[in-house]
Amino acid sequence: MFALADCNNFFASCERVFRPDLNGRPVIVLSNNDGCAVARSNEAKALGIKMGAPYFKIRDIVEKNGVAVFSSNFALYGDMSHRVQEVLGSFVPAVEQYSIDEAFLDLRGLQVDDYDALAKEISGRCRKLTAIPVSVGIAPTKTLAKIASKLCKQYPKLNGGCYMHRKQDIEKVLRRFPVSDVWGIGRQSVKKLAAMNISTAWDYTRLNETAVRKQFALPGYRTWMELQGTPCIEFEDMIEPRQSICVSRSFAREITESGTLSEQVANFAESAVQKLRSQQSLALEMAVFAFTNRFKQNAPQAFNSRLVVFPDATDEHRIIVSAAVRAARELFCSGYAYKKAGVVFTKLMQAEDYVPSIFADTEAEQKDARLSKSIDAINNTFGRGSILFGVQGDGHIKMAREHQSPHYTTLWSDIPKASVK
Amino acid sequence: MEPQKLSGFPSPAAEIHEKLDLTKLLVRHNASTFFFRIDGVSIVDAGLDDGDIIIVDRAVEPYDGCKAVCFIDGEYTVKRVKITPRGVFLVPCNERNSKARPVPVGPGDDYLVWGVVSWIVKKA
Repeated sequence: MFALADCNNFFASCERVFRPDLNGRPVIVLSNNDGCAVARSNEAKALGIKMGAPYFKIRDIVEKNGVAVFSSNFALYGDMSHRVQEVLGSFVPAVEQYSIDEAFLDLRGLQVDDYDALAKEISGRCRKLTAIPVSVGIAPTKTLAKIASKLCKQYPKLNGGCYMHRKQDIEKVLRRFPVSDVWGIGRQSVKKLAAMNISTAWDYTRLNETAVRKQFALPGYRTWMELQGTPCIEFEDMIEPRQSICVSRSFAREITESGTLSEQVANFAESAVQKLRSQQSLALEMAVFAFTNRFKQNAPQAFNSRLVVFPDATDEHRIIVSAAVRAARELFCSGYAYKKAGVVFTKLMQAEDYVPSIFADTEAEQKDARLSKSIDAINNTFGRGSILFGVQGDGHIKMAREHQSPHYTTLWSDIPKASVK
Repeated sequence: MEPQKLSGFPSPAAEIHEKLDLTKLLVRHNASTFFFRIDGVSIVDAGLDDGDIIIVDRAVEPYDGCKAVCFIDGEYTVKRVKITPRGVFLVPCNERNSKARPVPVGPGDDYLVWGVVSWIVKKA
């Protein structure tokens, strides 16, 4: 058996942890720069606010209905996510964190008398300890566990936990479950399936094996098997290192100066390096890009980018940040107002596979390695951004965050206050 | 000629870097422990002063006589939990010098008691 624990409307629920007064009220969380709605409480969904709706388009609904609006507060969401993970980890030895708000639990080999009770207990425990509502689905495969967890959200009577295992129950559920909502069924497949007149998960399981293999290849076949109760998708408690790393942002105010752009790009590069180092990868290639606001039809438009190839694969702060800044200076064209920029490592390798080229200057490499280690140590001890390169300016990525809640759990100056009466 | 290096007796504690960690003492459950700051004290002798840090553990079940952070009328207030045969009540931390009435905790009041205070950190 596998369990999938999915935090309900995670970002919105995080905002409620220290604001119990928001329970029962519509809450939305906006993306970086307060662009669009990226999380909605059930009450906000009921008002018709769609996922990804641009904020300016929903302002009316927000004002008329007293919707509580928050800018993203990733320090809070990251901390709450860790807390939920820790609670999940107290139930099983193997937890696969699938995203910031979802995790699979491997229940194979565990002595469990009552799976339904376990699902409800996990959910209840998360709620009690962290104040985050979590839907827990338990089923014979990961794909079915995901569906079971979605049922918890539809049916509050399930008390946050749902165990789905009997053939007839699974059939009943799949007959009403849209195939487009099944984990692993991508947009392309949905189009194909629509043309084949297949709309529910059950219809999909009724296709014959050869047809599935031919039309939807191995991933589609795995999903087909999993929907029928045969586990095919491996449990991964080791996170696969990512194949590319991207840090990009839209700017609150458009950038028209080379210096300001390089400063922002330096900060993107520095946070990309941190991601790179945390997964023990090295960068072989990096793209730096900047573009103008394509929605402003009267303004001159530009999409500039530069590719940097590193002669030796690297994860050194100094080398990468300075290369990114050089690229930013090169690609900048005056007369354009840049709305968005970013840094992407387009080619990566694992640090353990590194072999220095014969031209590598090992002495300089060791010097850079010591510098990088010191930077990491300082940032780990005193907090991110404690030490910066001069080109990073004050180290802040400038963003609109008009509605951000306090960093309740990560900054001493922001912890909640209580009075004594 | 190389200058001779001075070396003393190797420290028998060289490999030992243990330190007392306050977090280990004060935080029993990482997942459920939160910090609050006391701001605004209207009753004296409650054992709590302005600026104190209180450590709140949601894993601890409220017990009779415990202090708890409670969400009442849109704000956090530290109350004492009183468990009686007639029900659960939130009373002022120092009953003797307060006129505030006890607040009954009903079955649906999920958020009234936010968490139990496990430690108080006070500046000397």
